Amino acid sequence: MEDIRIEHLSKDFGGFTAVDDVSLEIRSGELFSFLGPSGCGKTTLLRMIAGFEIPKTGRILIGNQDITELPPYQRQVNTIFQNYSLFPHMTLFDNVAFGLRIKRTAKMEIIEKVRYMLSLVKMEDQSSKYPDQISGGQKQRIAIARALINDPKVLLLDEPLAALDLKLRQHMLIELMNIHDAVGITFIYVTHDQGEAMSISDRVAVMSRGQIIQQGPPDDIYERPTSIFSAYFIGETNLISGEVTGIEDEYVQVKCDNGAGEFFEIDSTFHFHPNIGQKLTLSLRPEKIAVSRFKPRHQDDINILRGVIEDILYLGSHTQYIVRVGKLKFRVFSQHKRVYFDEKALDWEESVWLFWHDTDTWLIAEEVDENGRNQDFSTEAPYHRALKRSSPGSE
Amino acid sequence: MNKQHGYLNLSEQKQQKKLNLQSWILTAPAMLWLTFFFLVPYLIVIIYSFLTPDIYDIRFEFSLESYRQIFSGTYLRPFLISFRMAFLTTILCLLLAYPVAYFIARSKEKTRNTLLVFIIIPFWTNLIIRIFSWRIFLATNGVLNDILMQFGLISAPLQIMRTDLAVGLVMVYVYLPYMILPLYSVIEKIDFTLLNAAMDLGANEVKAFFRVTLPLSVTGIFAGSILVFIPALGAYLITQLVGNQKSLYIGQVITYKIKNIPRNWPMASALSLTLLLIVTLLLVGAYLLWLHNKKRKF
Repeated sequence: MEDIRIEHLSKDFGGFTAVDDVSLEIRSGELFSFLGPSGCGKTTLLRMIAGFEIPKTGRILIGNQDITELPPYQRQVNTIFQNYSLFPHMTLFDNVAFGLRIKRTAKMEIIEKVRYMLSLVKMEDQSSKYPDQISGGQKQRIAIARALINDPKVLLLDEPLAALDLKLRQHMLIELMNIHDAVGITFIYVTHDQGEAMSISDRVAVMSRGQIIQQGPPDDIYERPTSIFSAYFIGETNLISGEVTGIEDEYVQVKCDNGAGEFFEIDSTFHFHPNIGQKLTLSLRPEKIAVSRFKPRHQDDINILRGVIEDILYLGSHTQYIVRVGKLKFRVFSQHKRVYFDEKALDWEESVWLFWHDTDTWLIAEEVDENGRNQDFSTEAPYHRALKRSSPGSE
Repeated sequence: MNKQHGYLNLSEQKQQKKLNLQSWILTAPAMLWLTFFFLVPYLIVIIYSFLTPDIYDIRFEFSLESYRQIFSGTYLRPFLISFRMAFLTTILCLLLAYPVAYFIARSKEKTRNTLLVFIIIPFWTNLIIRIFSWRIFLATNGVLNDILMQFGLISAPLQIMRTDLAVGLVMVYVYLPYMILPLYSVIEKIDFTLLNAAMDLGANEVKAFFRVTLPLSVTGIFAGSILVFIPALGAYLITQLVGNQKSLYIGQVITYKIKNIPRNWPMASALSLTLLLIVTLLLVGAYLLWLHNKKRKF
């Protein structure tokens, strides 16, 4: 099989380390994503696989072939560029035929193959147009056809949907998955958009500061983040610092400071073995927390906290509540399902109960840096507004 | 005009009239200037070309003698010499300018401006002075010969001054910036990720250049070639100051017709107009060719 192996790859630009000792294995036929904020080295990594950058150290292998130092035109790798990079002086047909013409393929074969590729991306009736006469989504299709016609072993996609609007993006995402299924080659997808990465990928590598923080299937990364970075970068989460006070079977008790000098305890399951007294971080996804003005019936396996609603953001499909517990702020998503919570809408400054299942608390064996050093983010709720709206009139 | 705006309501029509008046007022000075100092003189030249020469002046008698002489091939040689030199100059300028323009366009934004200033600096010195400095440089006992003899590369001074070689050298020197600047402005706009794309699709550097960069800089090549070819064709100063009196260029011939006694104003006018006609035909031809290619595009 033609797996891609990346071994200890590093690259720097004038003292700035873009990619820092990355090792990775991408299986043949897989749709693999590099996900990370801008400047995390994902595009540099992609450009090294494409051959536009030569790494400082390390190797890249496709199957058993070492391609580390091969020029781009000798690699069986093709790229979809962020701005498509279609040749403006050529028709769409000529654009798609470019790779074959370079290889001096026979004319009849070119016509046949280009037609097939154009039909694969549903652009067969526009082949005599020029790139500036078609829309962004269509350019995208042509770029895919132009790359795939060369029978690459790997297709690299560099933020391919970044320039499209939301609806088109969702549509193209499904189309990309269909094309991936149809051609069956390895796709490497680079994006900063976690939604894209989560929905399209077989596996995702979360990157930060030139390193891979975590890799695995999307649900693994979302549900079981191994670091504060991947917990925070993928989706939204509440991060709470705490200290382990008790361990019993697969449960652990964590004592958390609410910032106002008081402490509360949160129960959790664990996937690594913490020690009593160990300081760690809890990750709690906002959609796993329930919020209600009524105190839930006490159960052994749920956590219950009391707080005050500080802010309410109506987001259409759900409402985000910012709930103050001591000095901590919890973000809670509540979907508008009245069958579950048959009660009047919650109000500003209303006292509420937060509760969630023990297994939904996720432990991360890292501490939130108090000074914000080495952190690309703050744990503060991002939508916090200084001015509170007065209570809306009851309907 | 009125028909075009038939669908406009009254106030919109007023607005339109105001706009028209504004554009007339703004363009009037340039229009007047061109009318009096370009169009009228050209009409005079056209009229002159159909008159009869006198020793110093002209007689107002209609004559086709000048055109008869021109079309019977009397002046074929200076025309051919001029065209050959203009053509060679354009080609040489293109070959020399392209790498320079490419290099400037691909250098960092800050260095680009500095480099462009270097290209423009020669314009700060008068053309005649620059040509004279070439005379000093190329003369039989001039700088170039001195250097070559010093290093023992030649035993006797080379005769470069007053040859077509000298004309060619100075022409290329003078017109090179006119080629570099339009080429630069086009190459600078080329999206260089297209080269990455070409290489990604299997083209090596050379193929990527000929299939992507070169076709995309065609407009610059065309503009630069026009800017070099046309002045080079009518060049007088350079051919007169460093050229050979045995092979006269068309610019020199036209000047002599006016300068030397007996004067022949009609012949000078007819020659100028013939030159203009040929250049115009060439340009129109090139434009039609371009249009034809473009039509095939759509």
